[in-house]
Amino acid sequence: MRDLVKYVLQNMMKRLTRSSLTIISILIGITAIFALLSFGQGLQKYINETAEKAGANKIIVQPRAFGPPGSTPASLKERDLDIIHRVSGVDQVAGTVMGQTEVKDKNAKIGKFVFVSGLEPGPNLRMVEEAFSLELEKGRNLQKGDRKKAVLGYNYQLSDKIFEKPVRLGDSITIKGVAFQVSGFYKEVGNPQDDSNIYITNDDAKELFDTEDYSYAIVQTKAGENPGQVAMAISEKLRRDRGQKEGQEDFFVQTYEDALAAFSTIITVLNAVLVIIAMISVVVAAVNIMNTMYTAVLERTKEVGVMKAIGAENSTILGVFIVESGFLGLIGGLLGIGLGYLIAKAGGAAAAAAGYSILKPFFPWWLTFGCLVFAFLVGLASGYFPAKAASKLSPVEALRYE
Amino acid sequence: MIKEYFRYALNSLRRRKLRSWLTLIGIFIGIAAVVSLIGLGQGLQYAVSQQFGSLGTDKITIQASGGFGPPGTGVIRPLTEKNRQDIERIDGVKRTAGRLVDSVRVDFNNRAEFLYTTSWPQGEQKELVKESLDIKLTSGRLQKDSDTGTVVVGADLGKDSNGFQKRLEVGSKIEINGKKFTVIGVMKKKGSFIFDKIIFIVDKDYRDLLGRNDEDLDLIVAQVESGADINKVKEEIERYLRRERDVKKGEEDFSVSTPQATLSRVESTLFAVNLFVYIIAGISILVGGIGIMNTMYTAVLERTREIGIMKSIGAKNSTIFNLFFVESGLIGAVGGIVGAGIGFTLSYGMAAIGRAQLESELISAQISPWLLLGAIFGSFAIGSLFGILPAIRATKLSPVEALRYGK
Repeated sequence: MRDLVKYVLQNMMKRLTRSSLTIISILIGITAIFALLSFGQGLQKYINETAEKAGANKIIVQPRAFGPPGSTPASLKERDLDIIHRVSGVDQVAGTVMGQTEVKDKNAKIGKFVFVSGLEPGPNLRMVEEAFSLELEKGRNLQKGDRKKAVLGYNYQLSDKIFEKPVRLGDSITIKGVAFQVSGFYKEVGNPQDDSNIYITNDDAKELFDTEDYSYAIVQTKAGENPGQVAMAISEKLRRDRGQKEGQEDFFVQTYEDALAAFSTIITVLNAVLVIIAMISVVVAAVNIMNTMYTAVLERTKEVGVMKAIGAENSTILGVFIVESGFLGLIGGLLGIGLGYLIAKAGGAAAAAAGYSILKPFFPWWLTFGCLVFAFLVGLASGYFPAKAASKLSPVEALRYE
Repeated sequence: MIKEYFRYALNSLRRRKLRSWLTLIGIFIGIAAVVSLIGLGQGLQYAVSQQFGSLGTDKITIQASGGFGPPGTGVIRPLTEKNRQDIERIDGVKRTAGRLVDSVRVDFNNRAEFLYTTSWPQGEQKELVKESLDIKLTSGRLQKDSDTGTVVVGADLGKDSNGFQKRLEVGSKIEINGKKFTVIGVMKKKGSFIFDKIIFIVDKDYRDLLGRNDEDLDLIVAQVESGADINKVKEEIERYLRRERDVKKGEEDFSVSTPQATLSRVESTLFAVNLFVYIIAGISILVGGIGIMNTMYTAVLERTREIGIMKSIGAKNSTIFNLFFVESGLIGAVGGIVGAGIGFTLSYGMAAIGRAQLESELISAQISPWLLLGAIFGSFAIGSLFGILPAIRATKLSPVEALRYGK
């Protein structure tokens, strides 16, 4: 075995240019695949962490219609929240009155259109914050009895992001023409949409948007309950209250896990498409390896003849060439993973600078290992036919080869 | 002389048939992938611009500013009927039409769906809406001013897969927000996910049903007179609305957009996404190029003695360079031709399958002669480029050493 490796390495060194070019060609594809997958894994990890933080015990209830608050034909009212609360297995429920509207800081002439969400201060607040991965960074949370107080998303603290100048604690901002005092900031969520959100109390939001309708409700189930079953029970109770049959619902109940699973499927599919496209370059690299190996067999015809003449078996010859091409793949894979790591890191830093810190590459051990094994297998597979050809050479013909 | 180079190159390629083939395969896989992806990308872009094109190049869309989503989302001060009449009087404006947009609950076949609805204006405004949205029907008729309790529905609602598990057709009775309506027309497929699921309700019914007052408008379309400068008219409308709504320049709470401006915004986003995909696919061309380089280095090595002989009987360095340079360029060009052909077939094939499977008008292939030419020329350039270093190595061989090689 040691001899085999030594022989293979010697051969690769002898044709340094050719070996390095072949390695480069497989390296490029592995780099692309490794980097793309690390971003996919990063997003997946983010989703899992979000799910973990939010807890698997959350359910979201939404009206099925869309549109600005107050104008939608279907709605979620206080009465519905009471019904949901009484469903067995439900621990807490909190509604959110949400709208999109114009905000201005004291300097801004032109307002920005952002989402303003109403939160229910009090014992349920932590649950909603959990559900949306919100964590207070500065100041204080909304409290019961707060009027015209706002907690802002992370991006308001930056200059030239939402407004020219950063907003500070205690500053006054105008939401839909009404002055609010900034009482706190949430930590960075990692995407520009969530980080531009504004949170006020539900009472203020109802007044601001002139509505009694909730945009959605977050439900937390009791410990030990199966969220899927509780979700079904909620659906049934709401249907009965509204006199609707199955298929006629004007609301939508989904466990948090299902919602995230749907999202994670989309990510997986998009990532897979990109990886498949990148895979084309690995196919080309495989062709290159095959070419290199055919050339190697040709050049070493005489050598093969000698080996056979002194008693080398066909399988030994096959092994020598296959190991050589496997090595080409392995080295390409190693270098590709290194380069891919650097590129992914750089890409992640660029995305974070642009406000998308959610796009952070993640490198689980199996990704590194998998790419390495894959590169090795590609090497082995593309070396198979040339090696087979070498093993089938007749010793006499091979010795005579000029 | 050039003919000689080609003959020599072809002969050399033939001598190492297997290697030449593998090198060719390497380059044309990449070219085929890129050509077919660009073809699909261009097709998508074409389909999107077609959808915008249906707005016509002489129509200006006016909306009050709101958030993302359909017109009217998050709007604080809606447009008014008075705005529409005033805009119609602006110089260069031929005619205008106003619409309202909302989402409604629709009940049919014991099932409920939530759909977008828009108002079908009265009188002359109808013609402009019909023209600007390019409305054609597959069955039934459009609404008249005197109609009440009628709707015209988008093409997808006329299919069994519309969510009601039963298709809407002329005569179908549906309930919208609890009130009864009758379908009197089904639209032709537009390939737009909004307008293929839209419900048109006559303006008066619409305002009664949704409780919108008689003045509100979510969207105004203005058609410019032929010969008038659309950008000038746009500025004029902006000036009018600024005055009317009492806002300063740069602080507008409304938007006036020409189809070109909207289209170019959408196109640049699409282009950025496509470009990313092209680059990832383009990597394989690079790998193919490295394959060519490798083959050429091997060729130089194998023909070391040949080069030695040529040099010793007086061949110039430039001649040796050309020999190898032409050979690698040739591999590139042939790979390009084959790749472009395969890519062309693949692109139209995938588009046909995708269209049949997903029933989306957005999936189509669009391959211009320029793309094919570009692919072939690009491949030739890659071949030549990656042949430069091996060709230089060939010229650098000393004739004496080269003749001694292998002995």
